[in-house]
Amino acid sequence: MIRARGVRKSFGSAAVLDGIDLDVHGSEVVSILGSSGSGKSTLIRCMNGLEKLDAGSITIDDFDVSLPKDLAEARKRSATVFQLFNLYPHMTALQNVTLAPIQVLKRSRAEAEATARSLLDSVGLGARADAYPAQLSGGQRQRVGICRALAMNPRYLLLDEITSALDPEMTAEVLSILAQLAKTGTTMVFVTHEIEFARTISSRIVFLDKGQLVVDLPTEEFFAAEGGMARPRISQFLSKMRKD
Amino acid sequence: MRYTSFTSYDVVLLAQGLGVSLALFLTTTVIGLLLGTIWAVIRFYRVPVLSPLIAVLAELLKNSPVLVQLFLVFFGLPALLKINVTPVEAALITLSGNTAAFIYVIAVSAIESIGRDQIESARVFGLSRWQVLRHIIAPQAMAFAIGPLTGLLVNQLQVTSLISVIGVVDLTKIGNILNLRTLKPFIVWTIVGALYYATAKLVAFGGATLEKRLRAHSAWKGL
Amino acid sequence: MKPVSLLLGSRLTFDVTILAPHVPFLLKGALLTAEACGLALVGSLAIGFLVAALRTSSSPLLSRAAFVYVDLFRNIPFIVQLFFFFYGLPEIGIYIDAFSTGVIALSIAGGAFSSDVIRSGILAIDPGILEAAEVSGLSKPVIFRKIVMPIALRTSIRPLGSVFINLILTSSILSTITLNELTGSAKIVASDTFRPFEVYAVLLVVYASLTYLVSLAISALHRHLNRDRMPEVA
Ligand SMILES: Nc1ncnc2c1ncn2[C@@H]1O[C@H](COP(=O)(O)OP(=O)(O)O)[C@@H](O)[C@H]1O
Ligand SMILES: [Mg+2]
Repeated sequence: MIRARGVRKSFGSAAVLDGIDLDVHGSEVVSILGSSGSGKSTLIRCMNGLEKLDAGSITIDDFDVSLPKDLAEARKRSATVFQLFNLYPHMTALQNVTLAPIQVLKRSRAEAEATARSLLDSVGLGARADAYPAQLSGGQRQRVGICRALAMNPRYLLLDEITSALDPEMTAEVLSILAQLAKTGTTMVFVTHEIEFARTISSRIVFLDKGQLVVDLPTEEFFAAEGGMARPRISQFLSKMRKD
Repeated sequence: MRYTSFTSYDVVLLAQGLGVSLALFLTTTVIGLLLGTIWAVIRFYRVPVLSPLIAVLAELLKNSPVLVQLFLVFFGLPALLKINVTPVEAALITLSGNTAAFIYVIAVSAIESIGRDQIESARVFGLSRWQVLRHIIAPQAMAFAIGPLTGLLVNQLQVTSLISVIGVVDLTKIGNILNLRTLKPFIVWTIVGALYYATAKLVAFGGATLEKRLRAHSAWKGL
Repeated sequence: MKPVSLLLGSRLTFDVTILAPHVPFLLKGALLTAEACGLALVGSLAIGFLVAALRTSSSPLLSRAAFVYVDLFRNIPFIVQLFFFFYGLPEIGIYIDAFSTGVIALSIAGGAFSSDVIRSGILAIDPGILEAAEVSGLSKPVIFRKIVMPIALRTSIRPLGSVFINLILTSSILSTITLNELTGSAKIVASDTFRPFEVYAVLLVVYASLTYLVSLAISALHRHLNRDRMPEVA
């Protein structure tokens, strides 16, 4: 499981994460909601070791991301999908997906390519395996990004607003893949603004506000009138999100 | 053995060599600036025959070794025209022409950066082509060109070292002389290199200062 | 066929046919130039990538040292660098021939210019791409080899081409250390034939054509490396 305890992080004098405690167990889908600037991305970046914690700890299956010797193992167990895809521009879709399995997991090229092809097939990109990122639409790129993450066979998938750079049609095609993944029991930490979608796939919803985790509830309770909605901050946020 | 060590007179020699290098650098820079600008103006006016000829000449000068250009002028011209060309004259002609070719390229792209539409609209107001050039293009092109110009001059300063090959007693030639006499190549070439380095830094610093001035000036004028 | 001769008055003659018997000798010189430039290209790129890696590294000491190297070799005339090595190396007991000295000097100078170009190529890489590589567990050397180098190379292929063209032009200076590459051979032909104008005029055009061909090749390479951004032939 992913366990965050007392995580603090500031940039300059601004406290961006102000003491976060969070547990994500196997097979859970935890959605992180919160307005822009509340620290969602920073939390994800602390989990995958892209940001150093100022205080507190994050462990992934008991591997502490703050310890250099543990970080490699923690990163083998988790994979990240980025808002702006961050595909390797000089590699084909297939090469994007096989690079880390070959280099990090020491898979043979043939094995890595077979896995990659079946992953690309499963997201409807079997025919585009040899295309370069620049030749793909945004939705297609993000599907490659998901395949790249899944090819590492991660226990935990970290997803940071992976559809916010996409138009509605492309968003739908990417979200439908996540829905399938959720059914297969992949553990996900899902930062999103797609409230309705989060409601359908999440087991839990956490709400970040000004660097603090103000609510951590099972999905139905979060959306129930007497649960999360009882808090003015959340009902405000949700009605604003639904209007947009 | 008497001649193998350094003497205090060597400082004078080095200073003289540096002086010759600098004098040729400055002279050919001025001539090159004038010549290159004139070439660019000829192109701006689209003078028939002359402007394509200049374009070809500039390409040739830019894309061939300066050493070969020097040999062509120093050894070739006298043979062809049965005239006498001294090393310094050959250096002056070659370096000026070479600098002019690069200035021409910078000036042309500076003029083009200003954009046809600005030129056209000024023409609509009844300004002559010369007035447009003088009052609209020149000041802007100058500000645009100063950066690339500095880079060019730092480079051309180093190019002057090649004139030692045809016998001009510049800083590099002094290096050769001291090298042969003292047989201390590391010391000699380190000193010569340091002098060139310092001069290059001075040129770069001058260019940067001028650029800042021009920037501040054009910012103050607005638009 | 009549000799291509241009009579400018009775005293001036320009006749390139007198070069014909010397073409094989000049070609040998051209081959030496090609060899020196080819080797120096490899050397420059190797040094360029290494130094660019040092300059973009997080160690202040290494990046400072790399900067000093680039700054020095960019601001000292090549001929001075060449003499430093040519006359200096034997002084410390390193006896190598003029060709090797020339290739080394060209590589070191070319490396300084290449590293600047490569460095800007590296700095232009979207940091998100490097973060994606990092979180997927790739080691630093693998990220450099598989991600940073190819991306920097393909974005900077044109400026690198200019560096290479300059290298070819600069290689003519190797004639000053007794190396009979293209310019050195031409010097010999010029003094043998007493026709320096023809020899050097042709030589000038040969260099210009050579660099033009190289620039065409570079454009083709640029298109090849960036083929993904070209319209697809579906
Ligand atoms: N590298 C950084 N340097 C300085 N400030 C940052 C940096 N990253 C994020 N921040 C600031 O931290 C706050 C939270 O950012 P972020 O985690 O991206 O929020 P969210 O993803 O919830 O929109 C914002 O105010 C942002 O400006
Ligand atoms: Mg964010």
